[in-house]
Amino acid sequence: MAKSRSTQSRDPNKRVRPASWQIFMVSFFLLYMLVPIISTYVFSVATRWDRTILPEGYTLEFYKRAFAASYFTITLRNSLILSLATILVSLLVIVPTVYWVHTRLVGAKPLLDILMILPFGIPMVVLALALVQVYNFPPLARSPTLLIGAVVIYSMPFMYRPVSNAIQAVDAQVLTEAGQSLGANVFQVLYRIIIPNILPGILSGSLLVFSTVFAEYTLTSLIVGAKFKTFPLLLVEFTRINGNVASAFSVISFTIAWLVSILILWVGSMGNTKRTKTIRAR
Amino acid sequence: MASKQKKTGRTSDWLGFAPFLLFCLAFEIIPIIFLLRGSFIEKTTHLFTFQHYLDLQRPLYINSFVNSIKLSGLTAIIGVVLGTFIGYAVYRWPSERVRELLITLSDVTTNFAGVPLAFAFVVILGMNGVITQFLLQYFQYHLYPKFSIYSFSGLILAYVYFQLPLMVLLILPAFAGLKKEWQESAQSLGAGPFKYWWRIGIPVLMPSLIAGLTLLFANAFGAYATAYTLVESKLSLVTLQIGYMIAGEVRQDQGVGMAMAIGSLIIMGLSIGVYQAATLRARRWSKS
Amino acid sequence: MAYLELKNVNKYYAGVAAVHDFSLDIEKGSLVSFLGPSGCGKTTTLRMIAGFEQLDSGTIRLDGNDIVPVPPNRRDIGMVFQSYALFPNMTVRENVAFGLEMKKTPKAEIKKHVDNVLEMVRLQDTAKRFPHQLSGGQQQRIALARALAVQPRVLLLDEPLSALDAEVRVVLRGEIRRIQSELAITTVYVTHDQEEALSISDKVVVMNKGLIEQVGAPEEIYRAPNTRFVATFIGTANQFLGKTSGKNMVVCNNVELFTNSLTDFKTDQPVVVLVRPENIQVQAEQSRQKGWNSIHGEVETITFHGAITRLGVNVNGQRVVADITVANTQPVSLNQKLWLQFPPEACQVMVVEE
Ligand SMILES: Nc1ncnc2c1ncn2[C@@H]1O[C@H](COP(=O)(O)OP(=O)(O)OP(=O)(O)O)[C@@H](O)[C@H]1O
Ligand SMILES: [Mg+2]
Repeated sequence: MAKSRSTQSRDPNKRVRPASWQIFMVSFFLLYMLVPIISTYVFSVATRWDRTILPEGYTLEFYKRAFAASYFTITLRNSLILSLATILVSLLVIVPTVYWVHTRLVGAKPLLDILMILPFGIPMVVLALALVQVYNFPPLARSPTLLIGAVVIYSMPFMYRPVSNAIQAVDAQVLTEAGQSLGANVFQVLYRIIIPNILPGILSGSLLVFSTVFAEYTLTSLIVGAKFKTFPLLLVEFTRINGNVASAFSVISFTIAWLVSILILWVGSMGNTKRTKTIRAR
Repeated sequence: MASKQKKTGRTSDWLGFAPFLLFCLAFEIIPIIFLLRGSFIEKTTHLFTFQHYLDLQRPLYINSFVNSIKLSGLTAIIGVVLGTFIGYAVYRWPSERVRELLITLSDVTTNFAGVPLAFAFVVILGMNGVITQFLLQYFQYHLYPKFSIYSFSGLILAYVYFQLPLMVLLILPAFAGLKKEWQESAQSLGAGPFKYWWRIGIPVLMPSLIAGLTLLFANAFGAYATAYTLVESKLSLVTLQIGYMIAGEVRQDQGVGMAMAIGSLIIMGLSIGVYQAATLRARRWSKS
Repeated sequence: MAYLELKNVNKYYAGVAAVHDFSLDIEKGSLVSFLGPSGCGKTTTLRMIAGFEQLDSGTIRLDGNDIVPVPPNRRDIGMVFQSYALFPNMTVRENVAFGLEMKKTPKAEIKKHVDNVLEMVRLQDTAKRFPHQLSGGQQQRIALARALAVQPRVLLLDEPLSALDAEVRVVLRGEIRRIQSELAITTVYVTHDQEEALSISDKVVVMNKGLIEQVGAPEEIYRAPNTRFVATFIGTANQFLGKTSGKNMVVCNNVELFTNSLTDFKTDQPVVVLVRPENIQVQAEQSRQKGWNSIHGEVETITFHGAITRLGVNVNGQRVVADITVANTQPVSLNQKLWLQFPPEACQVMVVEE
């Protein structure tokens, strides 16, 4: 190619290598993000790691003890029940509503948006306090049902964003009119046309809700406590009993989160829905 | 005509919205209203009172609010400053593949909060943590007792862990919204890079920075699990106090708890409100 | 000597020439358009003049000085972008004042100056508004005002009107020309709209694939295109492929055409004859005009264009288009047989490279 000028490096399009300040910032970020996670993974297979830089030896002992823990299966089962029930209720309540608002009740869109942002403005402890105070009578008081209600409220935005994006993307209004002109009623339109078309959105929403609820600690511990022990509660218990076993639990929990995240990305690229960035309260 | 009807909605159309609205009322709005009412009612006499709010002046509660605001404010500022620079580094990274990877990492890590995160920090920075050991062995530096992961400074480290990637995710679209043409017009009008950032770049980013700051603040203020696992009763935070009251571990008047909850709702509501306003502003600018 | 002078400018992207051996002289105070199909290198050339792209070789001189080493913010060259690029955080007034502030102009002078330019673009009353409160056309005028406020030595416009409605476009291009000639500012105007280029320019530069095809006044470009590309890119032209034969005759596959003297061509030279549709007279009967071409064909399509009607006529298998005006012709119907007549001067003959 022609003679290259010294000024060429100023051309941002031509720069192939990152600047040193970029490398510095990104390395810092990577270290901050990865060291705690990697350490937990290593800690869970280390025999002893409090006197030396590298572990003194490696073992799977703590995983054996974790799986053998008396509550392990029950808590795992409870966590699954809670997550799946939440997803189910979320789907039933949110998907028809979002569809309805987009096609028949556009005027309610601002109200829906506010209701969806509201959970971010309510600390989970406050939600728990309010629910425990109001529903202090059986059978609701401190029951798993009450917990599901709370968790649905808290995880609502995670279902809403992908579903709403998907409905917008497929132009539900036009599809509905097309369906109706061919003689379908509202339910037929919803189940035969809309839902199949927004399935990727529904899937990523469900997965987001799953990973949120599976790691949920605050609402569970404050609303039902030991009566309905989930996986995160077991983890907290073990952080006080045995750090090594707790790290094995942590790793299981991390790994599930990673897997679900990868699934979400995969589903997202499949349906070409926008990457959904939502925050979650802690 | 038809479109007009669609906008406002007929009564029958609102029926379709009712199930969702009822759900929100039942599990969110009505309980919060009861909470508000309860915070103004004397428990035994059932009379209206401001006493619960006056009780908030006790040192324990004042402390909780001060600590919570300090913790949230500090981690929000750290998150915004570092996150913005990291975000810009990521945004300008030449390789598309690396950029995607870093964004995915941020996506995942910002959701790594609560118990597993707290525990991971104990593993590296606890009394016998990996980094604590490393500093001792290689630099003969005793981290403890000057620093402790079970303290305020420890909490800051743990909170920044989820604040940083959140800020990166929030600021990336803002950088993408800075049009190359703005920089070029500024240049052709005689402005160098510094003038460009000072007069156009930073002002245009400002709504996003404010949105980030308020969102990160709210994010930290409402956090519970991380703090609960790490500091427990060694440090009083608003969310921890409310938690104790629900669990019944502290036998105080319920009314103070409710007043505290309402106080935290107001703080959160303000931050989320500013966040919304700033986001709207940022969107309006990116359109023009 | 020309005011702005580009000499042998080359620019490559990944080894492919985006601009190739580009040399052009632009007179002080003139408006020069770059016209060409998408991807022909118009923007790239403009950005090299502005300093946003580096040259791979060649020189650019402004008022006799090499400006290639000068960074964009010192070049004193104004630029108007297709997307306007108004700063969204500043009011109209602040936008227009920005360049003057960079030059450290005194406050009072800035105000006077800004008022002047805003008046020039007829938008005094929008001074306090923000860009997002303006229409596209207004934003474009402000972008122009902002670039003009610093009294740059050269003004560059990259398809400034392409995001606007047809009507606004026509009005604004007139405005741009008026302001440009009032200020006598040397201007380079990039467009892919030929009508725009022809109507406002002193000189048009027709580009294709990074090369200059022809430089000339608008009439010259239209009447006497140098190349087949220019002839077909600007306006419409019928093309007859054939070989020269004799002093003033071209034998094509389907017709024989009389042309002006062909002394510049070898005999049996493959050539193309170009005839613009408006130069063809359509006649029901063959009227013997001395020395004119007269070819017979059958009407296949009739397209109404307002002032003219365009006929597609089948001449021995080749489609020839001819324009008729409503005023001077009797009605034509489909499948009608008629005569197309045009003088030798209407034929432009060009060598075809094989
Ligand atoms: N940054 C770049 N990297 C690689 N190739 C480029 C770049 N910019 C332009 N090109 C190529 O250079 C050639 C000229 O592009 P340029 O933008 O100058 O065209 P243009 O005449 O302005 O076209 P348009 O009318 O579409 O704006 C094109 O083939 C284009 O693909
Ligand atoms: Mg271009």
